[in-house]
Amino acid sequence: MLSIKNLQAQVEDKQILKGLNLEIKAGEVHAIMGPNGSGKSTLSQVLAGNEAFEVTGGSVRYQDQDLLEMSTEDRAREGLFLAFQYPVEIPGVSNLQFLKTAINNIRQHRGEGEINAAEFMKLAKEKIKQVNLNPSFLKRGVNEGFSGGEKKRNEIMQMLMLEPKLAILDETDSGLDIDALRVVADGVNALRSPERAVIMVTHYQRLLDYIVPDYVHVLSQGRIIKSGGKELALELEEKGYGWLGIDEQAEA
Amino acid sequence: MTNMREVLPQAAAEPDLPPALQDFAKQRFEGLTGIARPSRKTEAWKYSAKRLNKLEGLQLAGNAGEENAPADLLLGNVQSHQLVLSNGHLPSSLPQIEGVSIKAFSALSEAEAQQVAKGLIATRDDLPFAEINHAGLGEGLYIEVAKNTQVELPIHLLLVHQGEGMSLPRIFVHLQTGSSVSLIESVCAVSASSEQSLCNQVSDFLIEDNAALTYYRVNDDHDQLPQVAATGAQLKRDARFFSHVLSLGCPLGRHDLQVQLLGSGAECDLNGVCVAQDRQHFDHHTCIEHIASHCNSNENYRCIADDKAQIVFNGRIHIHPDAQKTLGEMSNKNLLLSSEAEIDSKPELEIYADDVKCAHGTTIGQLNEKEVYYLKTRGIRKEQARQMLTLGFVLEIVRAAPIAELAERWEQRLSELLSFED
Ligand SMILES: Nc1ncnc2c1ncn2[C@@H]1O[C@H](COP(=O)(O)OP(=O)(O)O)[C@@H](O)[C@H]1O
Ligand SMILES: [Mg+2]
Repeated sequence: MLSIKNLQAQVEDKQILKGLNLEIKAGEVHAIMGPNGSGKSTLSQVLAGNEAFEVTGGSVRYQDQDLLEMSTEDRAREGLFLAFQYPVEIPGVSNLQFLKTAINNIRQHRGEGEINAAEFMKLAKEKIKQVNLNPSFLKRGVNEGFSGGEKKRNEIMQMLMLEPKLAILDETDSGLDIDALRVVADGVNALRSPERAVIMVTHYQRLLDYIVPDYVHVLSQGRIIKSGGKELALELEEKGYGWLGIDEQAEA
Repeated sequence: MTNMREVLPQAAAEPDLPPALQDFAKQRFEGLTGIARPSRKTEAWKYSAKRLNKLEGLQLAGNAGEENAPADLLLGNVQSHQLVLSNGHLPSSLPQIEGVSIKAFSALSEAEAQQVAKGLIATRDDLPFAEINHAGLGEGLYIEVAKNTQVELPIHLLLVHQGEGMSLPRIFVHLQTGSSVSLIESVCAVSASSEQSLCNQVSDFLIEDNAALTYYRVNDDHDQLPQVAATGAQLKRDARFFSHVLSLGCPLGRHDLQVQLLGSGAECDLNGVCVAQDRQHFDHHTCIEHIASHCNSNENYRCIADDKAQIVFNGRIHIHPDAQKTLGEMSNKNLLLSSEAEIDSKPELEIYADDVKCAHGTTIGQLNEKEVYYLKTRGIRKEQARQMLTLGFVLEIVRAAPIAELAERWEQRLSELLSFED
């Protein structure tokens, strides 16, 4: 589904990704772990098409297309979804209007008609309940005045509405209490299927108690320095990043 | 020195007015020679003077009859009592509304005429174009809402400017104690020309104790008609004035909005949305005078300028020495959509009382690319993302309008106007 080869990217003349390789097949859940500053968000943003990050080398293929040639909106329409580490607040655009516009754009891309208003409301109410947010949040501005945890739930809510093929979760677990963490995990587990894949970017092992990954990768200084099964996360938790010779101070 | 007499060489012919208003017009006409024409050096007019002074030698526009009111007045499904003023002239039959007296100035008693001459704009001497309206006074519309009368449907004043020349619509509204009404003023043009027409309007509102006026002013004439308007509201004890201004299409739109909080407990909200495109120019000057104690004022203007348009916002709050326990808030946020557009924002606070809470904030910015990107990551087209964000920038203010059908119609119009689709 996703094939990243020797990916290099920079921001403001600073090289951040320095030759990253990653293969992901449909049905798989991958965890990417690494200390702060190792390039996890950069990888996520590059995959989503953030133009602030410049790709300087390598290739990314997604479902037999050159991902790097696709516009941000086309990536989303082809089923790529990024749950942001720091979602923006957009006062003036309601969650409802935002979600409806997004769904209709994606439907249009697939050659389908606009979603029926009643059907949409039913879906939105169902999904917001699923992430344990009050339905009144649907009428509020996108993330406007939401707490950190509410923003993360809202990202999961969007993911559930849009049903992506490839979901990338950038530290969706950070700063969450145990209830919110369960909501996130349940959301991701509900989405798991043989046709979909998930990349979970995380700093901690905790989330992986709830979403058991097929593979764990350790990112350091813009490269994946170690890959393994789910036991790698436990080992990291026990021994710390220093175990792999990573100097956490040096990364950030 | 050039003076305002050049703008109005002759007063209205033999106006049929009560003595108090005849004297008023006569004095103001004589005074025109002493009033300098605004130039680029006149601080309050520096941005608008050039365009206004291009409108040389306009005759007073005559009564063009009552036909031809454009169909779409941004009213949507709003039910109203409608009154069409054609070039400022009153229709032959006036609506009958229970508890409301609607008359021409010519039918006023001497006491009522004196009231009109004491209106806020009528007593100002620093508004050179309002001065032309005073001096050229020929006809006017007088509305009085009786004590404790709540007028259910809004009164819609449709100011139609027809043809070339200058029209001088004049409105006076008196809300007696405990009464309330909504007034919608919309200005539109029929075969006007941006070089040869000017609508120069004055509206004065007197709001007695515990009365409430909700005022809507809409302007969307598709570029034909330059406009200058002055609106004044005087608020007595516990009176309320809620103003919603929507400025859209107009080659030149100057609006002076003046509020005096004269009685304690009075409150005003001034909301404004302005969108300027092409080479349009809008100049909004507001002034809130806190004269009595315990009054609240809240002002919120949002402006969007695209292409080569220019928008000016000048918001003044003046807190007089006796206005203790004042709460005053003013916010003006501006969005520039093109590098050739210009927005000038100038908040002015003058505070002479010590126990007051007063805040103001101004921002001028561009669309936030992080927000555009966030919407795009959800599959939303770039043009649509930009439209949603620009519309979102003003929507909060539009939706503050209490008549929901009106707010909906405004929102619909704005989303057309702010479309980035090719
Ligand atoms: N917009 C940016 N401008 C400048 N430097 C950035 C920017 N974004 C990230 N960086 C830098 O890139 C490095 C990697 O950051 P990031 O990808 O956010 O790491 P992580 O998500 O693993 O904590 C850090 O050194 C960070 O300071
Ligand atoms: Mg990060």
